[in-house]
Amino acid sequence: MNVIINVIGPEITLKQEIDLELVSPTLRDVVRTLLGEHEGPWERIIRNDLSLAEGCVALVNGRNIMSLEGFETPIHEGDEITFSVIVAGG
Amino acid sequence: MKGIRGRLLEVDLTRGKTNDRPISDEMFEKYLGGRGLGARLLFDMLPLNTDPLSPENLLIFLTGPLTGTLVPGSSKFVVITKSPLTHGWCDSYSSGRLSVELKKVGYDGMVIRGKSNHPCYLRIDESGVDIRRADSIWGKDSFETERIMKQVEGNTSAGVTSIGPAGERLCKFASINSDLYRQAGRGGVGAVMGSKNFKAIVIKGTRKVEPHDREKLIELNRKNVERSRKSEVAQARMKYGTPLTLNITHFGGILPTKNFQFGTWEKALEKIDAEGVNRHVISHKACISCFMPCGLMTRVSKGKYRGSTIEGPEYETLSMFGSNQLIDLLPAIIRANVLCDKLGLDTISTGNVIGFAMECFEKGLISPAQAEGLEIRFGDSGASLAAIEMIANRQGLGDILAEGVRRAAEHIGGGSDRFAMHVKGMEFPGYEPRGAFGSALSYAVSPRGACHRRAWPPAKEILGDYPPYTVEGKAEMIRDLYDENCILHSLLVCDFHSKFIPLSLKDYSQYFQAVTGESLSERDLLTTAGRVETLIRMFNLREGLTRQDDTLPHRTLFEPLPDGPARGQSIGGENLSRMLDEYYESRGWDSSGVPTEQTLMKYQL
Repeated sequence: MNVIINVIGPEITLKQEIDLELVSPTLRDVVRTLLGEHEGPWERIIRNDLSLAEGCVALVNGRNIMSLEGFETPIHEGDEITFSVIVAGG
Repeated sequence: MKGIRGRLLEVDLTRGKTNDRPISDEMFEKYLGGRGLGARLLFDMLPLNTDPLSPENLLIFLTGPLTGTLVPGSSKFVVITKSPLTHGWCDSYSSGRLSVELKKVGYDGMVIRGKSNHPCYLRIDESGVDIRRADSIWGKDSFETERIMKQVEGNTSAGVTSIGPAGERLCKFASINSDLYRQAGRGGVGAVMGSKNFKAIVIKGTRKVEPHDREKLIELNRKNVERSRKSEVAQARMKYGTPLTLNITHFGGILPTKNFQFGTWEKALEKIDAEGVNRHVISHKACISCFMPCGLMTRVSKGKYRGSTIEGPEYETLSMFGSNQLIDLLPAIIRANVLCDKLGLDTISTGNVIGFAMECFEKGLISPAQAEGLEIRFGDSGASLAAIEMIANRQGLGDILAEGVRRAAEHIGGGSDRFAMHVKGMEFPGYEPRGAFGSALSYAVSPRGACHRRAWPPAKEILGDYPPYTVEGKAEMIRDLYDENCILHSLLVCDFHSKFIPLSLKDYSQYFQAVTGESLSERDLLTTAGRVETLIRMFNLREGLTRQDDTLPHRTLFEPLPDGPARGQSIGGENLSRMLDEYYESRGWDSSGVPTEQTLMKYQL
């Protein structure tokens, strides 16, 4: 399945399409795969225990996973996952 | 109390007289400074029902108890007045050398009233206070005015603040400009200054502010610099500045697009977002008294707008001149920012009202003839730039738009009030409230109108654990965010350190103690916030604003958002009503939004 990954932090990468060989995965499954198989600034965003680093959040299709099902949020074909530092203000 | 000067400068421009007014330690203990002290002064000193553009209106410049010290982000000042845009409370924030020089010359603030019978400026140094003629600079833009003022003074370190032509022509969202690129932008403070024939202020002081415990101050800064180095959030902010916010508002579905018709805009990405702006950055800049250089100096290096240079554009400008007008050409947005700063216009209100005009034009409510031949369509950056100059010069359609979006809609008619995006007459900033319901409440109850400075709900609803499309818990969430910002804006420190390092109220209590020698607990600070918010509510009530003014445009209330994560969402009248009821109750106000006797006694008001 394909998902779209965005990373917004001291480095920004947008609209990275990633092909995952997963069936009915949760966000935890996706993150585990990203850490193991795909290059990225993951160590700045995700801790070894698969929790988010301090000051970082994850959105699935624009919704914070804290108001969804956290790392157990189901991920579907074409979903957009955004990892971001907590920005504020304008 | 250390840190404060204990006196205000009063200036009567009608009589050409100045005098000092003492301010007691007790006033600072009860109201802190900045927003808090300004609330007390405006309530007590402004005559009831004053016309905002009459000589009787007050223009109050205030510093805070930490201004002029090493406390990070403490070079802010606030301009407080009765707004010509809303006819209610107005506090407009800026930063720069003016605040520090004011404190160094021996004042905590200035209260300006009256109207000069000729253009004038105020000059303050250790030898005294002068009201001088400004005939030769009247009509000059803000950049040129500041250059001339510094040249005349022979002193490049003087604090200078001024208005541009938009303020002189009483544009209702005219700004006051400082240090070239810093604006007290919102609410029309520049128009109030213009109405007094008052062009500029120049201040040069020599007496440094001595804190109570300098060693403690240095120790706190050392610790917090180290914290900022370890913070991913602070590092990202210093690299990308506020444009980073655009990436999140787009993905979160709250990026105002096409005059708030949509909540996302894919074309913004990598063109007018953090990366897009970063490609134009020539240097990073920190405010005085700050160790975090989050300001971005940008320059257009080629094309039609080559050479345009600005500190910015900030997120609000990117959203209001970019996505909200469907303009993805960053050099044009930089140029718009330059024009607004030079002419003395708030980029938020200006961008918003131009987006409104574009929708009116496309709906046939404005003809090219009414717009002096200008076809003001979404996506047309040339038309947008032309409209800025028409507004500042009050030319043709610009004269109508210069009155603000509420009055422009009344003039244009045809149901345009349904998509005139304002609260109490002040234009929406860069957040679509249908994608974060707390923003809707925050806009509705803000005493100065639609405002992003009282609270920043996306921190809770997009980046935090509050579900965005419900009203549950939002009243208390907004109250708490308001209280925190009230404290920061009364101490007059930058909002950003509390978000990015992050500094807590406890950290600020420590800074307050190090500077003033006085102790204030977090509880004391929160009590002060409740007192100040209630006093400002009392000011608006006495000026005729009521619960009916705590409302939202038809589009926000009843038109479902058609795209993004919040697709299908609108606020709805019942939801707004429930949030208002709960918010008023959380403040100790009755169901009409009037503070109860018990609340007034609690806050000693």
